[in-house]
Amino acid sequence: MSRYRFETHLANVILYGSVIATLVFFYIPIVTLVAFSLTESRFLTFPIEGFSLKWYSALFAEKNFLPALWGSLKLSFVVTILSTILGAAAAVAWMRFKFRFQRSFQVLAFTPLLFPQLMLGVVMLLWFSVLGNFFDFSMALWSAVLGHVVYITPFALIIIAVQIHGFDDTLEDAARDSGCSNWEVLREITIPILWPGIFSAGIFAFLLSWGNFYLTYSLAGTSRTLPTFVFSGIANGSSPIFPALATLTFIPALILVGLADFFRRRAAERLKSDTTET
Amino acid sequence: MTAPIIDMKSLNKFYQAYQALYDITLSVEVGEFVALVGPSGCGKTSLLKILAGFEELTSGTLEIEGKDMRDVPPSERPTRMVFQKLALFPHKTIFDNIAFPLKIARLPKAEIAEKVRQMLDLMHLKEEYLTRYPSQLSGGEQQRVALARSMVSSPSVLLLDEPLSALDVKLKKSLQAELKRLHRTLGTSFVHVTHDLEEAMMLADRICVMKDGHVLQIGTPNDIYYRPAHPFVAGFIGDTNLLPATLTYSQNGANFTAQGVSCAAAAVQTTQLATDLDADHALLMIRPEMITINADAPKNCQMTGEVEEFFVKGATIQYRVRVQGLENEVTVETPGTAEVPISVGQTVRLNFDLSDIFVLGA
Amino acid sequence: MRIKNMSWRHPALQIATLPLLTVLVLFFLIPFGMTVLLSFQVTKLYQVAWSWDLTTWKDVFSHSYYWVIMARTLKMALICVVLCVFLGLPVAYALVNRLPSMENHVKILIVFAFLADAILKTFGWVLFFDRSGVLNGFLEVLGFGPAASDILFTPTAAMIAMVYNLLPYTIFTIYLSMMRIDRDLIAASYDSGASKLRTFWEITLPLSKPGLLAGAVLVFVLGLGVFLEPKIMGGGTSPLAAELIRQTFETRVNWPLGAALTIVVIGIGALTLMFFGYLLIKTTKSQGGNT
Repeated sequence: MSRYRFETHLANVILYGSVIATLVFFYIPIVTLVAFSLTESRFLTFPIEGFSLKWYSALFAEKNFLPALWGSLKLSFVVTILSTILGAAAAVAWMRFKFRFQRSFQVLAFTPLLFPQLMLGVVMLLWFSVLGNFFDFSMALWSAVLGHVVYITPFALIIIAVQIHGFDDTLEDAARDSGCSNWEVLREITIPILWPGIFSAGIFAFLLSWGNFYLTYSLAGTSRTLPTFVFSGIANGSSPIFPALATLTFIPALILVGLADFFRRRAAERLKSDTTET
Repeated sequence: MTAPIIDMKSLNKFYQAYQALYDITLSVEVGEFVALVGPSGCGKTSLLKILAGFEELTSGTLEIEGKDMRDVPPSERPTRMVFQKLALFPHKTIFDNIAFPLKIARLPKAEIAEKVRQMLDLMHLKEEYLTRYPSQLSGGEQQRVALARSMVSSPSVLLLDEPLSALDVKLKKSLQAELKRLHRTLGTSFVHVTHDLEEAMMLADRICVMKDGHVLQIGTPNDIYYRPAHPFVAGFIGDTNLLPATLTYSQNGANFTAQGVSCAAAAVQTTQLATDLDADHALLMIRPEMITINADAPKNCQMTGEVEEFFVKGATIQYRVRVQGLENEVTVETPGTAEVPISVGQTVRLNFDLSDIFVLGA
Repeated sequence: MRIKNMSWRHPALQIATLPLLTVLVLFFLIPFGMTVLLSFQVTKLYQVAWSWDLTTWKDVFSHSYYWVIMARTLKMALICVVLCVFLGLPVAYALVNRLPSMENHVKILIVFAFLADAILKTFGWVLFFDRSGVLNGFLEVLGFGPAASDILFTPTAAMIAMVYNLLPYTIFTIYLSMMRIDRDLIAASYDSGASKLRTFWEITLPLSKPGLLAGAVLVFVLGLGVFLEPKIMGGGTSPLAAELIRQTFETRVNWPLGAALTIVVIGIGALTLMFFGYLLIKTTKSQGGNT
């Protein structure tokens, strides 16, 4: 009997301990950054000397910052829309259709995920350069968009596919039986039930694009984006501006993650209930 | 008299603020087949889990083989459980599945092989199944493997959690017969949870009827059927008739008056009375098959009424008769005939024997 | 769920799949094909000369320098896989079995940490490990000498960074696999007399194999392609394959060489994938298709 007790306690220690250790591990750099963003001094030494919010204002004063921020926002926004739409369409084809070469389609959709990101960026960069030489144009931000879309759509696809999997299509039958046309069924039944899940996939896509370095770095070239801003900035010498930037991006990101989860759960609830909305 | 193998006294179980079991006292004798029956939510599964060790009782005592089971984990109890969804290990062969408890107990290989073979014979499983995986067997075969695994270590008590509830009728009937045969052959004590009272009646030596966490009655199948302690128990096995009546106690039993019923001498014996009766609010219980319709040799009690509906059940025909003065219809069951002798709307005479009455409290 | 049989003539199918297909073909398959082509070219004077040449490939195979780097990359990726699997197991198990109420919150925390910007996180690590950084600050307070920890710019630091980035993947895949294990199986094992440890070994672990394998493959393939974090944390002393490739493109401007090296790395990744895919199929078959 005491062996059982001992085992249980030991297991608990290992399990809870590993979760706590992992969370601490994951948050060390994040917390460090937030802490450092509040320092008074110009240098990033520990312990922090004094508290100040001045680096936040310094950040906005940096001439390259706002254009880079704007560039990244544009990029991520467009990528989100494209990935979500393509992902949703593909998810439908994945889950509800059966067609020739379906397997190949599925494999093809997912292969970019398994490419080391840098390789993906390199491969696409080569192609764009060749295209650029032939057709005499440069792509810059759009090449980054395409790169992101190729990489991020599988994620959106999975999230939406899971939603579709739990969707009860007899609801659609009931709607059609009540006289709805195909479009009305979509509008009244399918989309209202599925949209929280789609929205959550969109948020996820946005965050993936926002936090992506490798692809943006390879493909965006000279156009201004946050990753290049940070990378060149750090290379030139660190300053508390970057922790400030980090904190600024973390807060909206955290809110968005919370939102995405909220929508995901709401979608799950909608799929559970058997009645259509009143 | 030997000590019971399971002894529960005043067992209570709380899940946080919700009380699932109220003051359960029940004992199982060695070699007995006890069924726990009741509607869903009555607590029978909780009770079984407490016996197995997957849940802890909140208060009261539980002794198995004379030892207090508080804080004893499932792996150390002399019980074995058969799960509702079977829980056969999908990644192990049939042999490994059945041999699992023995492997844990570190029996020598030869002995393990021997016992597994014995189980195969006992459960009528083919030897070639041993190398197959659970997903390759049919539902009935999987059931038997699950039973084999639980019995291979010769446990003193077998706990069954509604193992047959998900099966189709034919398979269910054949496995019910299996269970009965196993019980007779092995002499292990069985505790069987089911929501099907008919199944319990068929298999068990004693039945424990539960509702809302309470034990309503413990008794042999006959007790439950002919002398239910509670209207719920009476009504739990299909249709029955409960006629409101008032009693006056007498030396040998009681005299009664009931609406719609006229008897030559309206009296019953003490043995026909349940305990805890309120003389002013009693119920006369008569099973539908005890009532005759338009019989030639009428028995002492009589009712008159109009047939509202009939149901052909094959072996029997069931009639619903509206008797004046009674709120509910009277249900009568007669042996089946090729042609239904009575039609809807017909006025009929119903008769039953005084000795077929059992009186319970409302 | 009703599945409709579709033919390619049906407009609905076309609308659903063609956009993505076009994007994938145009911007993934073709570029990849082009990369293969490119590897057979040569650079002359910083320009790509479109001639069919095996010089680049001979170059790749003859210089041991490249293969040293490949070997190092492979080694790092494998160590990373082992670490990620071992560290991910208890976390996934805890999420499934121990934290019913907190489960969601923990997941959100992990996802958020995962999605935060990569460079920024690396920067945070640098600040943490720096000579005058946070870790040393704490150690000083505890009584160790100043600048006690010198982990930065070592291979250890690079490995920490790699595990940091890839651990969420194994946690996720193992979690998904473990969640699907029927709880009754665990109960049946206890009931048969097995201890918790035994149950874990006999039941939980084997049934989590799909998740373990998937996570391992994912981490391995992705690990082959990292360069940033190891470079920053490791000080650039021992470059990995991806770094090599980047250099080849940016500094040395030898595109065919870069292309060839990319193909080598992708090739190794693909071969590993196929091998593990085969393993996975074999395992699932023996479980009677239980995944």
